[in-house]
Amino acid sequence: MLIKVQILIGVMSIILLLFTFELIRKGRLREEYSILWIFTGLIIFIISLWPEFFLSRFIPKITGLFYLSAVVMIAFLFLLLIVLHFSIVISRLSHQNKELAQRYAILELELNSIKRLCNTSQKMSA
Amino acid sequence: MDFKKVLVIIPAYNEEGSVGKVVEEVKKFLPGVDILVVNDGSKDLTSEEAKASGAVVLDLPFNLGIGGAMQTGYKYAFIKGYDIAIQVDGDGQHDPKEISKLLNTLERNNADIVIGSRFLGVSDFKSSMMRRFGIFIFSKVISIILGQKITDPTSGFRAINKKVIHIFASNYPQDYPEPESLVLLHKFKCNVLEVPINMRQRNAGESSITKIKSIYYMVKVLLAIFVDCFKERSL
Repeated sequence: MLIKVQILIGVMSIILLLFTFELIRKGRLREEYSILWIFTGLIIFIISLWPEFFLSRFIPKITGLFYLSAVVMIAFLFLLLIVLHFSIVISRLSHQNKELAQRYAILELELNSIKRLCNTSQKMSA
Repeated sequence: MDFKKVLVIIPAYNEEGSVGKVVEEVKKFLPGVDILVVNDGSKDLTSEEAKASGAVVLDLPFNLGIGGAMQTGYKYAFIKGYDIAIQVDGDGQHDPKEISKLLNTLERNNADIVIGSRFLGVSDFKSSMMRRFGIFIFSKVISIILGQKITDPTSGFRAINKKVIHIFASNYPQDYPEPESLVLLHKFKCNVLEVPINMRQRNAGESSITKIKSIYYMVKVLLAIFVDCFKERSL
């Protein structure tokens, strides 16, 4: 039973790590966000190397959580962190997005009035 | 009053049927003022109609919502150094005849913001139960926070001075900004005044707040007001 869980978790963490590296390599994921994912993958991988130690001794000793519930708990905590991190990023982005749209509209108006000024002065001098 | 630079800001989202009329009416009653229409990413001919009627038009590249659109107008007013900015909705609900009332009160009573209230004095304003109830709740909450009776905190018909233009250019709430902006101004120790106005039926278009949405907005805005009381603000 334990060996099956060990292999499953190990393979999943390796896939997660490879996938993250591939995304960074292709420039689809910024390093800033990838750190959390790499960290997550590494921790899960380390746990899968010595599941006996982590799941039955280390984690129960410091948290009081046993075995599978411990795995779920860790995964849940990491996901929670990542989702919270994303909410912060999205908030910042939408604020910057709004700011950009507003500046763009004002600049476009100014540009058009300058263009019109240039045109009339050109016509006058011609 | 003549030497002060006044800007009338008209936010408009898909209001091609009424925005031209509003601009012309403002021109008729206040010949000297500049008129800015903020086209909030409309999909119809709002921008063209507004330009044809002789207003300066700011075209947002996509819909930002009333808060984002109004803030664009305030940013413009701030950059251009206007002394007074007046918000008039693009749907024709606000009667431009009443703008001078707002202006006079702002000038004479040394207020930072003057709100045109539908519920002060005589007014034949009619609306659904839901809306009345929402406005009632906001009115109570805002009055408590400001320590001053505010009868119509949701009114978008308002005039502000240079100090408030500066504040709004850098801080303005998003979706349903009117009640929240009053809490913000209270934090900056601004003088808030109300004058009675009459509101007309809508010329065209549809109110941006439908029934189910209004409940959602009420909860959201109340929450935002609550959070605002604890937020740090800076210019």
